Amino acid sequence: MKTSSAHAFVNHVLVYALVGIGLSGSAGVGAVWMRQQISFTANANKALEARIADLTRRCNETSAAIAVEQDPAVLLRRNTAWGLGLVPPRDDQVQHLAEDPVMRLAAKRNSGLYRDTAATAGLTTFRVASQP
Amino acid sequence: MSKGFASNYRIVVLASLVLLCFGGLGARLVWLHVIDREELLAMVEKARREVTIQKARRGDILDAKGNILATSRSLIDLGVDPQLLRKADEKKWPRLASLIGMPFYDLEKILNTRMRTEGPEGGGEHPIEWTSLSDQISESAYADIVKLGVAGVYGNRVYRRAYPHNELGAHVIGYVNREEQPVTGIESYVDFYLRGQNGWVESEKDGRQVEMAQFRTREVPASDGYSVSLSIDAIVQHIAEAEIQDIVAKFHPQKVTIIIGNPRTGFLYALANYPTFNLNEYNKVPKEEQRDLRNIAVSDVYEPGSVFKIVAASGALNEGLVTPATTFDCTLDQLVVNGVLRKLPGEMAGDHFDNHVSVADIIARSSNKGAAQLGVLLGDRRFYNYVRAFGFGQLTGFPAGGEARGLLRPPEKWDGLTITRMPMGQSVAATPLQMHQAIGVIASGGVLLRPQLIEQIRDPSGAIVYNFGRAEVRRVISANTARVMAGMLERVSTEGTGTRAMIPGYDVAGKTGTANKVVNGQYSKVHHVASFIGFFPARDPQVAISVIVDDADEGFLGHVATGGLVAAPSFRHIGEQLIPYLDIQPALADASASLSLPLAMEGGRR
Repeated sequence: MKTSSAHAFVNHVLVYALVGIGLSGSAGVGAVWMRQQISFTANANKALEARIADLTRRCNETSAAIAVEQDPAVLLRRNTAWGLGLVPPRDDQVQHLAEDPVMRLAAKRNSGLYRDTAATAGLTTFRVASQP
Repeated sequence: MSKGFASNYRIVVLASLVLLCFGGLGARLVWLHVIDREELLAMVEKARREVTIQKARRGDILDAKGNILATSRSLIDLGVDPQLLRKADEKKWPRLASLIGMPFYDLEKILNTRMRTEGPEGGGEHPIEWTSLSDQISESAYADIVKLGVAGVYGNRVYRRAYPHNELGAHVIGYVNREEQPVTGIESYVDFYLRGQNGWVESEKDGRQVEMAQFRTREVPASDGYSVSLSIDAIVQHIAEAEIQDIVAKFHPQKVTIIIGNPRTGFLYALANYPTFNLNEYNKVPKEEQRDLRNIAVSDVYEPGSVFKIVAASGALNEGLVTPATTFDCTLDQLVVNGVLRKLPGEMAGDHFDNHVSVADIIARSSNKGAAQLGVLLGDRRFYNYVRAFGFGQLTGFPAGGEARGLLRPPEKWDGLTITRMPMGQSVAATPLQMHQAIGVIASGGVLLRPQLIEQIRDPSGAIVYNFGRAEVRRVISANTARVMAGMLERVSTEGTGTRAMIPGYDVAGKTGTANKVVNGQYSKVHHVASFIGFFPARDPQVAISVIVDDADEGFLGHVATGGLVAAPSFRHIGEQLIPYLDIQPALADASASLSLPLAMEGGRR
């Protein structure tokens, strides 16, 4: 009885040890997996940051290239090279507006669509039908 | 019944072995973690720790319409480690040479040079680990180079300042040198805002020197620099610089300055100088031409000549000593000044005035004797006070360029002739910007405004951090005196010395100046500074233009290069281009209205 309880104890210890090893292993694998995920996410973030930085750099480069092309001297050269014949407007070609040009254009567009004269009181009528 | 799978003896032996191993491991751990700790930590720190600087991008400088005048481009400093080159990549070298823009022969020579011989006493050869190929590789070109995949060829990113418009506004914008230090102009003045602040990342790297992002311990992002919006308009600046090119082609002057601004706010639309330089090639300016880098509009002084007559006339009118109709004898050769008979200055060759010349005519036809008498009438101290009030002899506070105060001595240091010479623009020296500021007093209704360039400062997200507005320095003359002066200056362009500045349909107010240059201590008769400084429309000033031409070639003209001949036509030409661009409308009032203003004052004190 004594011997068998010692063996049982050893067996228990071994079982617990195995369970412990299993748990520790799982925890270890979990920790490694977690580290892997952290590493993966961190590297993905890093790649995204690099991509954003790259795009920003390219945007800046494009902006600089556009600015070069918008240089008045370059535009004049293009105008000559492409034979566009563009010239600044002469003063007699310019119509100075004292009013809001949007309102002026809207009025021009809408003229004729509606009655141009104001409605007078008494012209507005309503028909009311009475029940027989 | 089983006795278990192990005997006691075996368990003891196994346990002893395991304990021994653990004991050994423990001892080794103690050795590593306690005894060798500092040394090992230092080694790990050195091998794995990495601090990466995140470079802040310098902010942009923009014009009034948002066009980029200065920006920071990311460029790649491309190089090669010849030790890493592979034989298999040799067929890619010609393509690499074309992407870099380097002759193939030169590239081949660099790539094939793998060892460096040290100096005569150093002895021996050492492997080359880095040779620069180009520091001007663009992002797109670098992407192609990376795609080409030549082992050992790689680059480091750097921000370099780029100026898309080359010479345009060079003296205003200034430049940043290769050490990223701002040298002149706005680049230098608002460096604090433009510069930004570098960030950094503390991390670890692996054996291949690649950062392990998961071990980042601290990340401080870089703060990019703020953007600065100027009042300079690239189109107006181009108009000014194109006009300068015309002047240079025609008159071969030593120096030219054109300043265009809004006289009601003090903000400048353009400031252009000749000689000038290309901002992208500032380092290629030869030593003997380094003076081209100076912003002569603020750093160089000249005797302003007749334009300075506006000061004496404004002072005398403002003090109620004269009206535009008050007459002076401009045939006099001498005048009693402070009890002493003093010689009056001569008139310009070919100019004749009689003994009844009105103040309006003194300005319109530019009589030196008349201006001298206005100065004498004001007296030394009062005239000096007006000169100071108009901003002469002091800094304007202009942000771009090493500004000069000009030369203005106090009355205690004047000789007997100064009060007769200074009213006609001699014995005093001013910068072109000071003259522009002075005419602005009349255009703005009598107030001295600080000339300004910076309109806004914006953070990287575009939000406005600081907004600059009109900055009044002081009131110099009354609004009524300013209106009367504007009316008199209008006559300069209609019937006076500046008729070539007249713009049909617009009332132009301005003043010509033809100053003799001092050569070998004497006033030269052949070297002049010709200028026309004015504004329009006279009744509702929307733009002020200063054209100053130093030492125009008189051979072209056949006679003296006066402001009326050399500078006034440029004023008109610039004005005509600005009218449609800035939508300048003619003043609505009848042309005779302003000329009647002086008459309203005739019932005054004199």
